[in-house]
Amino acid sequence: MGPEEYLADVELAWCPGCGNFAIRRALALALSQLGLPPDKVVLVTGIGQAAKIVHYMRVNGFDGLHGRTIAAAAGIKMANPNLTVIAESGDGDIYGEGGNHLLHNIRRNLDLTVLVHDNRVYGLTKGQASPTAPLGYQTRAQPFGVLTRPLNPLALAISLGAGFVGQTFSGEVEQTAELIVQAVRYRGFALVNILHPCPSWNRVQTFAWYKERLWNLADSDHDPTDRLAALSLLISAEEKGDRIPVGVLVNTPPVPTWEERHPVLRQGPLVGRPLPTAAALKPLLDEFI
Amino acid sequence: MELVVRLAGVAGQGVQSLGEILARSVFRSGLFIHGELSYHSRIRGGENAFTLRISDRPIYATRKDADLLVVLTPEMWRVYRDRLRAGAWVVSEEAAGAKGERVLQIPALRLAREKLNFPLAMGVILLGAAGRLLGLNKERVQQGIREVFGEKSQPNLLALEMGWELAPSCEWELPLARFSPGEWMLLTGGQAVGAGAIAAGCRFLAAYPMTPGTPVMEFLAQRAERYGLVVEQAEDEIAAINMALGAAYAGARAMVTTSGGGFALMVEGLSLAGMIETPVVIHIGQRPGPATGLPTRTSQENLLFALYAGHGEFPRYLCAPTTPESAFYLTVKAFENAEAFQVPSIVLTDQFLVDCYVTVPALDLSRISVHDHLLSPEELEKIPSYERFALTPSGISPRAVPGASRHLVLVDSDEHDPYGRITEDLSIRRAMVEKRLRKEEALRQVTSLPEVFPSENLRGRVALVGWGSTFGALREAVEALNAKQDRYAHVHFSELWPLRWEEVGELLRGAAEVITVEGNAWGQLGKLLRQEAGIRPAKHIARYDGRPFTPEEIVEAMTHGA
Ligand SMILES: Cc1ncc(C[n+]2csc(CCOP(=O)(O)OP(=O)(O)O)c2C)c(N)n1
Repeated sequence: MGPEEYLADVELAWCPGCGNFAIRRALALALSQLGLPPDKVVLVTGIGQAAKIVHYMRVNGFDGLHGRTIAAAAGIKMANPNLTVIAESGDGDIYGEGGNHLLHNIRRNLDLTVLVHDNRVYGLTKGQASPTAPLGYQTRAQPFGVLTRPLNPLALAISLGAGFVGQTFSGEVEQTAELIVQAVRYRGFALVNILHPCPSWNRVQTFAWYKERLWNLADSDHDPTDRLAALSLLISAEEKGDRIPVGVLVNTPPVPTWEERHPVLRQGPLVGRPLPTAAALKPLLDEFI
Repeated sequence: MELVVRLAGVAGQGVQSLGEILARSVFRSGLFIHGELSYHSRIRGGENAFTLRISDRPIYATRKDADLLVVLTPEMWRVYRDRLRAGAWVVSEEAAGAKGERVLQIPALRLAREKLNFPLAMGVILLGAAGRLLGLNKERVQQGIREVFGEKSQPNLLALEMGWELAPSCEWELPLARFSPGEWMLLTGGQAVGAGAIAAGCRFLAAYPMTPGTPVMEFLAQRAERYGLVVEQAEDEIAAINMALGAAYAGARAMVTTSGGGFALMVEGLSLAGMIETPVVIHIGQRPGPATGLPTRTSQENLLFALYAGHGEFPRYLCAPTTPESAFYLTVKAFENAEAFQVPSIVLTDQFLVDCYVTVPALDLSRISVHDHLLSPEELEKIPSYERFALTPSGISPRAVPGASRHLVLVDSDEHDPYGRITEDLSIRRAMVEKRLRKEEALRQVTSLPEVFPSENLRGRVALVGWGSTFGALREAVEALNAKQDRYAHVHFSELWPLRWEEVGELLRGAAEVITVEGNAWGQLGKLLRQEAGIRPAKHIARYDGRPFTPEEIVEAMTHGA
């Protein structure tokens, strides 16, 4: 199927110049390259401008609560591991409100893909700082500038053992699509942080600002199977602050996923199992005799 | 005929296991029991008591005073020495220091240590003496020990023998069996909720441990492989409910279990269930609040919370089982209603019900009906296009799950159009609100009105009205009151929302007086009766000290108030 066939024919409620348009194109491109039938894909989102993407695609969708994106996605995957489950939302949703689900689902290592639209602000609620906003970043809600250090989601995910961790810039549609393809193909938890400008609220990290700083790891000798090297690369980039690495930071050989370890799921998905018969339930009731 | 045996020790002494052995032995003898577990929130020390009522007829309540007290520590002797009936016996660990006429002192700890080299068997030695006094069949107690202790049975069987020898003789003669094996079952409320879930086809449970919700999680976890469930300990209760909704959206019958505090964290998810019309069953084992409250005690403080939790307006099914038997059937019904009406169902129990062992009529699978409410592959094949939230006269939209056919399934926590797409079109908004609320009317027709005793006609009677686990205590209290003066009735709710409240109003208006009896201070059912049925209870008999009601305490409250 061509990429257009994954796009829903609806009005898009994003602001002109928003990076989300390009991310949507990249996602469609990736799904097309993966050759996934739309009915075998579930896109799970939360709430925010980014999260609206689920309504603009032609796949199954679960648009849940703000912050709970990965939790709902985990439940879907546990119930039916045959579905390709992609959790996608904003940096506020995944790193702020939903931080706990991120931590523990990296540990769970379900075969999930998490795509984060990182604009460093809360777009939908009109521009407050998100967990990735830099120190000193001023908004109407943070008049003294942000006093809390930004989160480094990539280093966090790597330190927790996420098997696939990458970063891209929305402006690079092909590269973003390529990274999404790799993340979905990866058997295990995969995180892709997608940097994108927010022309309405973020006047600091603009398209041009990013363009000046992007550092494509494909042009380096970084080895994505080396987690320590990836961490050290991220920490030094954070300390120097002049270059933003994009590309695959970590891609380690897959280990058994949660669903592969689970004795019940090894027998097949939960979905579609018949309702219990009286004969099957007899031993259960016999426990009480 | 009735006998009350109480085992009292501190946490870590295995009182619960001793209680279970005793309960099983008596049950196997064909007698009815009610075993109540009462404990402090700690792993070592504190109170840990098991009160076993033995009767020749079914019983669903506990008692304050005992005929036989087995004490393991001095502290427990102090706590329970005044809660003895006339002529009671006490079996006491020597160090507990119980004194009196019918006190049997046994140096159980010393014997366990010196003779068995197994200090933990101390309780079983005392249990042996108690078993002899009670006139239990020794083989049944041995069987109970094997079932409860498994591989660790051997030293405990020796301990039983030692205790048995130390008792003077049989003090009591238990009646002959009142039922044959298989006619009645022995289970706790927590096990009943778990068994009901399995029988209803539950495939998924996510939970974060919280007393008294946890026993349901552990029951299902231990049977997950056999019955094909995924039971996952979530990172928090917010995750639990959202995971359950994800699983349910994907097509697995899903459940969460918690207590009031955890449910508080789930509330946004409850509202999501209402909005995306996705079935989920929420078991709430109540304990006293506010906040952490009394973690291991019982209460009925969350009726209004369970009923009104959630922002926005959406239907829900709310039931409050009365006994383990009712917990089994109502849990099945909660699953079926959730599936049939695409609503969240709440099963509201409490620590008392979850933990107590009760003899109930054999659970009967022919009494439950569990159906698939999803569109079949053939139906999905036939329809040209699919809308998850199609507007229908009943408000119920045919439900498909993702991946089951070529049709896409979209759900949204925002207001959405029939397809599931986000919308701010206000006419669609109105239609969707009305659609969701229409389901409540259909659901109202399948919920049961309260049970009335002795007869539907309340004329001239004082109606004692309760809900949930107070059923047994209330029934016995009303029987006792009627034995003196036949002018009382017992009205008991086990399904609470949505109800045909006009009919409830009609029923209760017939009574001379309405008195609510609830494990809370406010009289929460009373408030509901006032608001929904226009009934003003004359009085509220409240209990909020974390202990369950006993029949005698209700009778006392009635006679004092009169
Ligand atoms: C429980 C809850 N808290 C707050 C909100 C309000 N809210 C909606 S979106 C959002 C943040 C959006 O930021 P982000 O997730 O980064 O997405 P963006 O809009 O920037 O794409 C907030 C705070 C909400 N919907 N639910």
